[in-house]
Amino acid sequence: MHALTWPMSATSQSTLLGGDWRLLTTVGLIVAALVWGLILFAAFRWRRRDDREALPPQFRNNYPLEIAWTIVPLIIVGILFVYTYRAEAGVDAVIAHPDVTVAVHAYRWGWNFAYVGGPIVGGPSVGPVDGGAPIDAAPPPQLVLPVGETTRIELTSDDVTHGFWVPDFLFKRDAIPGMINTFDLRPDKLGTFLGRCSQFCGYDHALMTFTVRVVTPKAFAAWRNLPVPS
Amino acid sequence: MTAVARTAPVAATRNDLLSWITTTDHKRIGILYICTSLCYFAIAGALALAIRTQLAVPGNHLLTPHVYNELFTLHGTAMIFLFVAPFALGLANFLIPLQIGAPDMAFPRLNATSYWMFLFGGIIVFSGVATNEGAAAAGWTAYAPLSEIAVSTGLGQDLWIVGVLMVSVASILTSINFVTTVFIYRAPGMTMWRIPIFTWEMVATSLLIFMAFPPLASDLLLLFVDRRLGGHAFDPAFGGNPILYQHLFWFFGHPEVYVMILPYFGVISEIIPVFARKPIFGYTGLVLAAFAIAGLSMGVWAHHMFTTGAVNNPFFSAVSFLIAVPTGVKFFNWIATMWRGSISFKTPMLFSMGFLMNFLLGGVTGVMLASPPVDYQAHDSYFVVAHMHYVLGGGSLFAIFAGLYFWWPKMFGVMLDERLGTWSFWFLFIGFNVAFFPMHILGVEGMPRRVFTYPDTGSLPELNFIATCGAYIMLIGAILFGINVLVSALRGKPAGDDPWGANSLEWATTSPPPEYNFTSLPPIRSERPVWDMHHPEGARASR
Amino acid sequence: MTIGLRLFLSSMTFAIAIAIAYWFIAHEIAGTFLLGFMAFALSVIAGYMIVAEREADVWGDQGSANQSDAAGQIVGTYSIRSPLPIWAALAISLILLGLIVSPTMAVLGLLAVLAVSALFIVQSR
Repeated sequence: MHALTWPMSATSQSTLLGGDWRLLTTVGLIVAALVWGLILFAAFRWRRRDDREALPPQFRNNYPLEIAWTIVPLIIVGILFVYTYRAEAGVDAVIAHPDVTVAVHAYRWGWNFAYVGGPIVGGPSVGPVDGGAPIDAAPPPQLVLPVGETTRIELTSDDVTHGFWVPDFLFKRDAIPGMINTFDLRPDKLGTFLGRCSQFCGYDHALMTFTVRVVTPKAFAAWRNLPVPS
Repeated sequence: MTAVARTAPVAATRNDLLSWITTTDHKRIGILYICTSLCYFAIAGALALAIRTQLAVPGNHLLTPHVYNELFTLHGTAMIFLFVAPFALGLANFLIPLQIGAPDMAFPRLNATSYWMFLFGGIIVFSGVATNEGAAAAGWTAYAPLSEIAVSTGLGQDLWIVGVLMVSVASILTSINFVTTVFIYRAPGMTMWRIPIFTWEMVATSLLIFMAFPPLASDLLLLFVDRRLGGHAFDPAFGGNPILYQHLFWFFGHPEVYVMILPYFGVISEIIPVFARKPIFGYTGLVLAAFAIAGLSMGVWAHHMFTTGAVNNPFFSAVSFLIAVPTGVKFFNWIATMWRGSISFKTPMLFSMGFLMNFLLGGVTGVMLASPPVDYQAHDSYFVVAHMHYVLGGGSLFAIFAGLYFWWPKMFGVMLDERLGTWSFWFLFIGFNVAFFPMHILGVEGMPRRVFTYPDTGSLPELNFIATCGAYIMLIGAILFGINVLVSALRGKPAGDDPWGANSLEWATTSPPPEYNFTSLPPIRSERPVWDMHHPEGARASR
Repeated sequence: MTIGLRLFLSSMTFAIAIAIAYWFIAHEIAGTFLLGFMAFALSVIAGYMIVAEREADVWGDQGSANQSDAAGQIVGTYSIRSPLPIWAALAISLILLGLIVSPTMAVLGLLAVLAVSALFIVQSR
């Protein structure tokens, strides 16, 4: 239940996202509770106790009520939209000069991370497979990011449509062949986070994982100078 | 060929196979649609159970990934194209002429042609199973480039395209039939403002069908040209664009989900007044809301594409939020119909209550998904799976059962058993919520959709197991319905003209109705002519 | 003006409005074309109805009419049964399957569809 109202967030943008999520969940639950309550109350209070009882009052309209229950929801969704629009603008915003830029290529079934001016890392998410379970226990491809700094991701696909999704960042963007999707990530927590492919891409879609390791800027700089094992 | 006056003498009806194959009678065609779509429901339901059994535990080896992909593709395709929508078209086929006092549809032979196209189209889709590489496995949405020939190499995908194309054309022809019939063949006194809400909803649905299905047809044809005739519409290496596939698909796909719910809003609007013994509240508001939903639904399609980075998210977010308002209006109208009524909880009303409770949650999560930032987390995750099943399963499916129990007596002349119906409802309602509520949490915790397995982390294993249990509980509910059908066929209570004390014209004739429907019609002065006939003291004229 | 015509005219107006709004907000050609073409299609239907309605006289629109007022009126000719629908569906299946299996099959299907269509028309006389 914790996940529904207080999703974990590990980037500064996901704080904005989390706020929007909490607003919509709260409003949604209040509306749901109210309407469920009305339905159950009406069902219980006016249940037929005897088939011979008199006909109930045969009213068909109440124009002021009908206008009210059109206008009030209109106002509510209007407010939700404004809040949502602002949250989205914050999440999608890209700054002029990111600290790091990485070209991410998704393919069937793995991830390549090509750092501009730095190493090219990544590889297949799964080793040779048998019935869908990887035989090779190699770790999934890893994207390394510095905490507190802005990394520009330029995402594309080498074959079919994939999805770059890090659930702990509350964020995903599709990887589409022939198109580069640009977005910024600003992690504010250290750790290793799981990444999934979200857009169905065939046989090993379920196994097309990657990880995102967020380290201090010093450790990040040290990592970038390390030679990549062949 | 027979020239027919508006009221005709009762003719003896033949009941052999040939008479069913050559029928042009809307009632028989409706029953054919209903039976065929229920068969596809059973198949798609079995596929769902296989899927849930595979997902019961992490790392399961029950199904290989390719077979799993075929199964969920066929499950989605069958539920959407071969069950929920055609069932509604079948029910409407049976009911519309009866509800407006007409002897048949405007184009009876075209009507029958649509049914046979639907049946054969579905068979063609499933025939992919018999090919070398199996049935289509690119999802019911068949996104390019995944569905292109380089990746989906088998004939199954082509058979899927062709089968779905046939079913789509059949739906377009049916919708033309519906609108023409409602505009032209209403009985004397049956003004447009007195037709039942179900018929109004079918007019709105028909409008959606002929606006939305042609873009699907063109999308499928383009895909076929890409696959088999050397086209490159969606191939970026040749200047094509995968996003074009999505635009064309979702321009159809979103109105399609309203095609799958508006008829069932109509079913609920027919049932609640009968079991609350009150007229439907806010008739005009319900009609205007139906068309507001239909119109707005043509403008929200790219809320399925928020994460592509290729569409104007705020436009689609705004319209998607807006469409919640007319839907809410309908809910309030239904509650107001129950308000201060005299409510009896026979099986149709039980399923209607289940519809209201379930669809509400589906609607609320739908409003959440109208927010692009929320969608950045929820898209392509089990949160969306939960949402769509709450509206289609918790909503449409429950309304389907409500409609079956309500109109079964009219169609077949016998009642379905109340006790079996009640048990079936509770198994379905509890099973449904046990199966699908946990999926909201699974989605937020990071489980993507269309996956044959998942890692053994967090609460994924427990929640998946619970969901699988819910699916099996639903199975019991469905089996009870099947038993009910058998029992009622063998020794069901005879129904009579009007077993429920209902409102609209179909209850003014025998059960089942004779060929050409009516031997006489009561005067039509409101939206509930049969009620007025039975309660002359309270009858009043409406517009 | 019948309700039906009003329905198509207002749908057409809505489609025009949303197509224009969509172009100026999103500047996206595929969606604009789809919405615009939808508006055009609705205008064709509305145009047809304006012309057709001049002759129409629907009993249903007479609010105080009774069943007996329309008694004896011929509303249409209905075939009680016809084998043509299932043949038409089979013929169309042949065309579509022929696209996958072989062009000969598709041509056979096309001929069958033409034959069935001719029979439909003949049967209506």
